[in-house]
Amino acid sequence: MKNTKKQTKHLIICWVILIFASGCEDFLTQTDPTSFTMNNYYTQPEHAESAVNAIYQDLRAVRGGGFNGAAWMMTEFQTGLANTELGQADNSIIIRNLQNNSDNGYGNSYWNSHYQGIANANVAIENIPNVEMNEDQKNRLLGEARFLRALYYYNLVRLFGEIPLVLEPINLNSDDFYPEQASIADIYDAIVADLIWSETSGLPSIDENGKVSLGATKSLLSSVYLTMAGFPLNGGSTYYELARDKAEEVMISDDYYLFDSYADLRSNETKNIGEHIFMVQFDRNISNHNGLQYVLIPYNQGVSLYSAETGGIFAQREFVESYEEGDKRTEEKQFYYRSFTTVADRSVTIDDLGGWYIYKWMDPEAHVTTAMSDLNWPELRYAEILLIYAEAANEVDGPTGAAYEAVNAVRTRAELPDLSGLSQEEFREAIWKERFHELSFENKTWYDMVRLRKALNTNTGEFEDYVGHTFVYGPTLQERELLFPIPANEIRNNENLTQNPGY
Amino acid sequence: MKKEYYIKAIASQPAAFLVIQLLFCSIALGQENTVTGIVTDAESGGELPGVNITVQGTTIGATTDLDGVYSLEVPSLDDTLIFSYVGYETQEVAIGGRTTVNVSLGWAAIERDDLVVVGYGVMQRSDMTGSVGSISAEDIQDRSVGNVEQQLSGRIAGVDVAINSGRPGGTPNIRIRGSTSVSNTNDPLYVVDGVMLNVESLQRGTHAISSIDPGSIESIEVLKDASATAIYGARGANGVVLITTKKGNQEGGRITYDNNVSISQASKKIDVLNSEEFLMVEEIAYENSSKFDPEGNYVDPLTKRNDPRLFDESGNPLYDTDWQDVAFRNAVSHNHNLSFAGGDDNTSYGVYLGYRDEEGVMVESWLNRYSARFVLDSEINDWLTAGGSISYNNQTEKELEGWSMRMLYESLPIIPVKYPDGTWAGNEDYPGMEGGPNQRRVSEENIYNLDTQNSLANIYTNIFFSEKLDLRTMIAGNIINQRVNRYSGRTLPYLSRGAEGIASINNLRRNNYQFENLLNYRTQVEEHSLTALLGQSIQTANSFSAYSESQGFMDDYFLYNNLGVGSNPRPGGSSASEYTLASFFSRVNYNYNQKYLLTVTGRVDGSSKFGIENRYAFFPSAAAAWTVSEEEFLQESSSVSDLKLRFSWGQTGNSEISNYQGDAGLGSYTSIFGGSRAVGVGVSRLANPDLRWEVNTQVDFGLEVGFFENRIALEADIYRRVSDDMLLNRPVPRTSGYATVTQNIGSMENRGVELALTTFNINTPDYFWTTNFNVSLNKNEVLSLHGGSDIVQGATIIREGLPVNTFYGYDHLGTWNSDETDAAAIYNRLPGDIKYRDVDGDGAINQRDRVPLGNGMADAFGSLINTVSYKNVELMVDIQFSVGNNIMWAAKHSTEDRQGIANSLGSVLNAWTPDNQDTPIAQFRPVSAGYDTNTDSHREYDGSFIRGRNLSLSYNFSPRILNTINLSSLRVYAQAQNFFTSTSFPGYDPEVSTSGGQFTQGYAQYFEYPKPRVFMLGTSISL
Repeated sequence: MKNTKKQTKHLIICWVILIFASGCEDFLTQTDPTSFTMNNYYTQPEHAESAVNAIYQDLRAVRGGGFNGAAWMMTEFQTGLANTELGQADNSIIIRNLQNNSDNGYGNSYWNSHYQGIANANVAIENIPNVEMNEDQKNRLLGEARFLRALYYYNLVRLFGEIPLVLEPINLNSDDFYPEQASIADIYDAIVADLIWSETSGLPSIDENGKVSLGATKSLLSSVYLTMAGFPLNGGSTYYELARDKAEEVMISDDYYLFDSYADLRSNETKNIGEHIFMVQFDRNISNHNGLQYVLIPYNQGVSLYSAETGGIFAQREFVESYEEGDKRTEEKQFYYRSFTTVADRSVTIDDLGGWYIYKWMDPEAHVTTAMSDLNWPELRYAEILLIYAEAANEVDGPTGAAYEAVNAVRTRAELPDLSGLSQEEFREAIWKERFHELSFENKTWYDMVRLRKALNTNTGEFEDYVGHTFVYGPTLQERELLFPIPANEIRNNENLTQNPGY
Repeated sequence: MKKEYYIKAIASQPAAFLVIQLLFCSIALGQENTVTGIVTDAESGGELPGVNITVQGTTIGATTDLDGVYSLEVPSLDDTLIFSYVGYETQEVAIGGRTTVNVSLGWAAIERDDLVVVGYGVMQRSDMTGSVGSISAEDIQDRSVGNVEQQLSGRIAGVDVAINSGRPGGTPNIRIRGSTSVSNTNDPLYVVDGVMLNVESLQRGTHAISSIDPGSIESIEVLKDASATAIYGARGANGVVLITTKKGNQEGGRITYDNNVSISQASKKIDVLNSEEFLMVEEIAYENSSKFDPEGNYVDPLTKRNDPRLFDESGNPLYDTDWQDVAFRNAVSHNHNLSFAGGDDNTSYGVYLGYRDEEGVMVESWLNRYSARFVLDSEINDWLTAGGSISYNNQTEKELEGWSMRMLYESLPIIPVKYPDGTWAGNEDYPGMEGGPNQRRVSEENIYNLDTQNSLANIYTNIFFSEKLDLRTMIAGNIINQRVNRYSGRTLPYLSRGAEGIASINNLRRNNYQFENLLNYRTQVEEHSLTALLGQSIQTANSFSAYSESQGFMDDYFLYNNLGVGSNPRPGGSSASEYTLASFFSRVNYNYNQKYLLTVTGRVDGSSKFGIENRYAFFPSAAAAWTVSEEEFLQESSSVSDLKLRFSWGQTGNSEISNYQGDAGLGSYTSIFGGSRAVGVGVSRLANPDLRWEVNTQVDFGLEVGFFENRIALEADIYRRVSDDMLLNRPVPRTSGYATVTQNIGSMENRGVELALTTFNINTPDYFWTTNFNVSLNKNEVLSLHGGSDIVQGATIIREGLPVNTFYGYDHLGTWNSDETDAAAIYNRLPGDIKYRDVDGDGAINQRDRVPLGNGMADAFGSLINTVSYKNVELMVDIQFSVGNNIMWAAKHSTEDRQGIANSLGSVLNAWTPDNQDTPIAQFRPVSAGYDTNTDSHREYDGSFIRGRNLSLSYNFSPRILNTINLSSLRVYAQAQNFFTSTSFPGYDPEVSTSGGQFTQGYAQYFEYPKPRVFMLGTSISL
């Protein structure tokens, strides 16, 4: 008995010592089997590719829509050309009434998603060079990453003006953890540097899968140069020339062309080809684009299979009336629609839905049969490149034949007569107006207004100064509306930031 | 020796003795000498009927008659008589040759539960220095409920249990002495027979404790102050609930069977519009459209009332459906517990079986649970005891999802459930409506089952080296398998019509294992008594989850049982995680002569959750108590029978953050190329290598006092606990690419007072009346946050100086009246629109005008429980109260702020009109004409309430009857639970939280499941 006791005692003492001593550290070290960490990733070519894939995701963040609207509407409502019947989308309404403030969720959404995209680009650009892999593939991946970083910054600098320019990955101890604002010129320099790098990275001229292509890079660069030529940098003719040349490179590549029918703009068959130079990608099974459809249909009129019929955004009547007589784009179910069949009975049509709803991005099949939309969103399309060319060429040399040819290609599709015999001045305004009408509700118009500091008076058809322009429904644009407010949260979390004037 | 220790525990229960004596007293043997006498009350001198008299060392006995007189044949006049009587001190009197022995009995001191389960041990209550509340087996028996949390409700001061849903498997919100953490869980740690339950929340916000059968519980203890909880170190910050389950029976075989049947009904209906009112509101709204949106395009509602399914030829509605009547039912539930226990001095065992079948008061919701447990304890030899238990619970709940509750409010009264031809109707059948599925249809066709298997097992050995030293070793596990099965029908509008049926399965497995060694030492040297514990514990917890979904079914037949037939399989997913905890702990109890008590504990915890720099933490505590009543100067006091002062200080931790938070984890991203998914890997979590534990420091001062042999007993505690190094997901500049970083910043304080008063108003064998009253006051305050910046989470705000769980919104001032046209115009509003306070005076109402509103936590809460019995009949009345808990009724967004696109609350009939301008409700208008809807003071209510929690009437059959039918006990009972609720809150119930968030107590969106009133009949039999 005594012996047993003693043995047991010894056994237990050994046991306890074993437990106490046997590498508590090992026992207490756990690694996450579900996710990689920054330290153990970026070793394989597949890792490099995945790092670049991640950058694309945030392009989707500002798209879509629902009962609370969507971030992309922010620039549309600040043109004074859009209307809404979605009473609860407060963010839309305060912008439309020019009562915006820095709490607006749309601004947050742009800011947060774009800086996340930039952070992913920064991580990719820093780590991919160290991955052992095919150099050509490596360069192409870096080219994609730089294009996307440039695109995010291009949006941010136009929306918010002077913003932090972060070009390296950030951790808790980084100097740039609380960054200061960079000058607008520095930001554009970084954008141009990235795009020029990307241009020579060996990207394919087009990419039918929706990745960044050489055509996209040149197109974006021409858009950036056009903006740099105008406000606020006022780069002038040097930049018009650069913009014209980049647009021309896209035009002579013969990789892109205008669709014959506007229906192809909203078709699943024509994604990433033809007129579509670069798009935000959607797919019903992976990430659908139903949100966009929710906001394009009138408020609860029973026309769509979707449960959310929000009336989130539609055209201001006066804007549609500003199109030229006979413009095909204003015909029923081209860019806009006023009638639709009912869910209860598709043989019954509501003839007047009460507004000019947007048909440009409408997916009728989704509303009528599937309640599921795949449509991509166009970031850059060939019609815009033609108009950039025409505008820039006119600024450099006046209305050249090639400039007429470019704009008339767009007008011909709209079944409008060719422009001819205009002075440089007249041609300039004709192009502006063409841009307003062709690129409506495409997140282009407000950027044009700010770069030109002009607004379209829909009553007179004339352009007038941006500051002081009165919307048809009352509010008047002030100086502060040349920018959006930096989100209040960001100002709160980073004492080094200064809010834009007037907010 | 150690055997005695355990036997004492059982024998010391007076009930057990009483039963034995009762059985024996009626049998008389021998007839040699007769002793007679009279027994009186020492205090009053009155005669005592029913006193038991036995002859020491024999089974010979008698009972006094109504006059207190007895007569007894004794073997010898040298014997000793034992006089015993419930509520009185037992007396032994030597006969000493007399034939008349008169005795007067004094009151017995009322003993409080002698043994109390504490962390890693058992203690005499008199030796305790900490604050621990107990729930006894009898308490549990008096309230037949479906889960452990409901048993906890209102029993113990300082334990706030909010039963937030009437759903059969609804998970209550439990806070012990308030909230301590912003980011981590505030749920207590549950320990069942030494096995720590899984702490992380499970699917649908359920908790491991919720699926455990309360029928097999012997007692529950709640550890509140740091002296009691510090032994649990990093897991003790939110208090610890110790559950002791029923064991075997050392006195031989015993079979018990308890069952009950209940009928539940919704305790309230909410006032919504009927058909006539609904249509009228729609018409008035249309008339007002020209005022609020002159340019808009509106359809006269009269022109759309031509659907012959819904309207007669003159446009009058055919139906006036009360959707609450459609959804509610008298729900029948039953519960069964069967047990077999047995054993002898050396070995005891028990088998406990349970079955519960509960119908929800809303049609199509139910829960069932099967549970089984086996327990074995055996003394193998004189130095080794071993045993263990294993239990398995299988619970399935058919839940209703949000739409079923939302459509209680919003279904149109003009719509029937089904048309005469059997097809479903729906809000969408009436043009211009927002839609939303048919309440009954969505309840039937959106199937949502939560299936939980919860297994608990432990095996232990106790090795006794000597009388003073033993070692206890335990291996234990809690394994949870949970599955959410869902199928939403092919044709169900708004959920799955587009997808042609959605089936999904979400599997979760959590394993928690622990291995512990406890070395116990105890010694007594003269008046010094010492016990010491040295322990070691390692724990691991891992989880694995997998999800799959498929859409596009050609038939509803398959439900979620064959995802393979779906034409559109969706991407699946899975994830895994694990953490480990290694700990060493010790506790020393010292007492001098039962007067001066001292407890010191310490625990070192190491956790894999924290960065290498801060992997270990030490949690100390110390407590002292002075049993003043043991001092000579109080020994002779006739009024004060017990007086003890306690003081404790200690620290505990909260480490319940997600795993791997210290690392720079990468997240997965989804990109699409060519219609295919391309996986991206990118930034996700900002690394913080300095991450460490939250530390809770608590000071507690307690007073326990008993008067008149403890017929009045008061326990009072006052405490202050401060959480420091609070883990916060603090927002960082988004320019970093990250939203937040988890850091130890911020502190929060809880201060409170707890009072528990127990009085034995009447305490005689036939008449008994006891009152329990407890009340708890807790004040929570956030002391500091990162840089002082607010954390706004939906409708609540966390701000320095305010309690957490404070609602945040606009100050609703009513409506603009006709005289204020110009003032309203500044805000772009018209008379009849809602008027908010422009806090910053900038001429616009925006987020900067939001202000802190009320708080969802109660200022004070408690219970008043009266138990009255006469002979074998017992009546218990259990009243619950809560003061100062506010409610944010967010459901008013869709049911009051806007009308005409779904049904509304009856309160909208008080809307603004030129003749009714003094009203908080805006003038009717079509929704697209614009309206204001915000979290505001008008949606806030004082949710204070008084509730009749339980009314229980029971009858215990007397041993005499039981003997004739060979039963050892038989009890029948009836209960009425939630038999009244008095509150000014117009929603279903003032205990409400619908979002499941950390600080959303009192936040009520649509999704509240009404709380039932339950009428129950039950029987308990044992043989």
